[in-house]
Parts: sequence; structure tokens; C-alpha cells
Amino acid sequence: MPLPREPSEKRRLFDRLASVREVVFGMQDGVLTTAGVLAGLSGAVSNHSQVILAAIAATAAGALSMGVGAYLGTSAETEVLRSELERTRREAAERPYIMQEALLRQLEREGLAREASYRVVELLSSSPELLIATTEEKVFGLGGALLGNALLDGIVMGVAFIAGALIPLLPYIVITTPRIALGTALCATALALFGVGYFEGWLAHREQRWRSGARFLLIALGAAAVGYVIGLAISPLGGAAG
Amino acid sequence: MLKPGDAAPPFDLPCAVEDRIDRISLAKIRSEMVVLFFYPRDFSFVCPTEVTGFNQLRQEFAEENATLLGASVDTAESHRRWARELGGIGYPLLADAGGGVARAYGVYDEKEGVAMRATFVLDSDRKVAYALASPINVGRSVAETLRVVRAIRTGQLCPAEWKPGMKFGPPDRQL
Repeated sequence: MPLPREPSEKRRLFDRLASVREVVFGMQDGVLTTAGVLAGLSGAVSNHSQVILAAIAATAAGALSMGVGAYLGTSAETEVLRSELERTRREAAERPYIMQEALLRQLEREGLAREASYRVVELLSSSPELLIATTEEKVFGLGGALLGNALLDGIVMGVAFIAGALIPLLPYIVITTPRIALGTALCATALALFGVGYFEGWLAHREQRWRSGARFLLIALGAAAVGYVIGLAISPLGGAAG
Repeated sequence: MLKPGDAAPPFDLPCAVEDRIDRISLAKIRSEMVVLFFYPRDFSFVCPTEVTGFNQLRQEFAEENATLLGASVDTAESHRRWARELGGIGYPLLADAGGGVARAYGVYDEKEGVAMRATFVLDSDRKVAYALASPINVGRSVAETLRVVRAIRTGQLCPAEWKPGMKFGPPDRQL
């Protein structure tokens, strides 16, 4: 039986897990987008190296777009949160009793007796910073942990996208027969999608991790199939326009 | 909420006074006036200024033959500990657990499950002579309550901002 983790170790683990969203999102998108580009170009372009070059270009553009998107998204979120936290801090400095009362009521709501809640808030009030931080987390649900690192998120997302894109792309680079390369790339894509889901199940300490893998694979393939069907449905429109 | 002229609903409640638990009944109070103020909860960071403010002026209220009573939905034991926390309170804090009396006076906040910040001054017939409710985040002026008690006891027409020693009646007007 594994030993329970030290709280500080657990905190570091939570910090690392904050990037799980970017890893999963980036990899999934990298795998599916590149597989889609390869499958689409294989039918239309006969030159094998041109397919590879186009897929590499699509990977570079996708990684940049996803990385910049993650960076900008986290930046905007962090900025809004930070400004809200600063406003709360200013209010707390001007009228500390409002914050004390709000925290007291929250602790009471969560099951602590009135007097015990009062004592806790009184103790916390001896350190204004601690009182503010605790109130932000308990009452407003705003914590320092929510303030993401925009640059890290952008890099992780971009790198995850490239890592995902390499999975269908590598068979194309190694195998020169287009049909076999495509089949291998699609198999590798399916395996990778299953693997990402399995990894997520492992992180969440799930009993049946294969279920997480299968679920992830089905959702991703389902989305790809819906996209394919929509493409088929609207293709006559493109023909009519041309 | 009760208004001036309404009969004050009777009550008989446990209370904490001077570090002991007791019981108090409106019918048994013999003073000329009664000042009954409701506050939301014990162990609060907003209410203590009022509870201690009344305590600081309790002698002045006694000189006006007025009995001071505080009330909240907390228990008498909670009042006792809260009064200790505040350095001792020399007037009774009524334990209106369940808020029955606050409801009878029309000052029970059903949503929050506490009494509103409300003050009633009862006259010798135990009718409401003065009623005031404050927002939950605004403390009352104890000095103003004392001024009102003094004004009511004169039985005269007291103009705005009247204080003992000032003239009664409407302000002089030149015709």
C-alpha cells in the first residue's frame, strides 16, 4: 500500500496537474487535426513528400495557433481574476468587518459552530493577509491557485499539439507506401487517443482506466465522424458554387 | 413591524445578565420605560459596537427610569459567553431562540433566520412609543436612542434635534 503523500508533495502535484487540461487538449487536437490533414491530402495529392510537407506546415500553424490561444486565454482570465482580487483587497482594507462577517457566515454554513467560527476568524484577523486569502478562497472561490501561468500554458499547449501531431505524421515519414502509411497513421491515431484517455484515467486514479481510454477515443472519433459527415453533406454546395 | 401606538407583545424569555443565566418577563418589569433592541447574532464583528454602546450608557438609561434589553436568536448560554467576550454586559440579553418575539414585533428576517436591527421604546402602558429599524450593515446610534427616551419622557412637543435644556414646542415664527 503506498504511503500517504506529504501535504507539500501533494501541493506540488496539484500545481503540476494544473497543466493537464493543456496537455490533453493539445495532444488530442494535434493527433486529430494532423490525421485529418494526412487523410485528406492522401486522396488529393499523389506526391508523398508534398503530403508530408503540408502536414508539417499544418502542424506548425496549429501548434502556434493553439499555443498563442492558450496564452491569450489564460492571460485574459488571470487579468480579470487579478483585478477582482485587488478590488476585494481594497474593500477589505477599508472595511475589514465586512470580510470578517462574510467568512464567519461561510464557516458557519459549512458546519462550524457560531462561536468556533468567530474564534477562527478572530485568529485569522491577526494576520490581515491570511484573512483576505482565506476569505477569497472560502467565500468568493477565488484562490491564488486560479491565477494561471499564461506563458507556461501556451508552451505546454503548443508542445502537446506537436507531440500529438507527430503520432500520425511519423508513419508517413517512415513508410513510403501511401496506403500503408495512411492505415498505420490512423491506427496510431486511434491508439494515441486511447492512450491520452488512459493517461487521464491514471492521473485520476480510476479503477478501470481502459474505460477512460475507450471513452476518450469514442468521443474524439465521434467528433471526427460528425465533421466528416458534415463535410460530405456540404460538398455538393461547393460543387454547385464552382 | 410594530409602529408607535401598538401594544407591545408580551414575552417571558431566558436571558444572560452579569455572567449568569436568568429569566425575564415584560409583565414583571416595573420601570417607566423599556428600551428593547434586537440585533442579528452573538459573536459577530458588526454587532458588538451596539451591545457595548448600550452598556456604556446603561447608567444614563437607568436615570431615565428605562430598562435596557437586548435580544437576538442566540441562546442564553451563547449570550453569556458573548457578554464575557465583550468584557461584561450589565443589562439582560434575551434569548429569543426561534425568533418568536422578533416575529411578534415584526422584525424577524425569515431569509436569514435572525432578527433585524430594530429598536423599540415602550412607554409605561407598554405601548410602542418609538420604533426604528436599521439596515443589517448600519449600526444604530445609542446616544440618539437615549435622546429619544428623554424626549418622550418630557411629554412635550420636542422639535428636531431637541436635547435636554432646549425649548419645547414649535420654533418661534414672526407673523
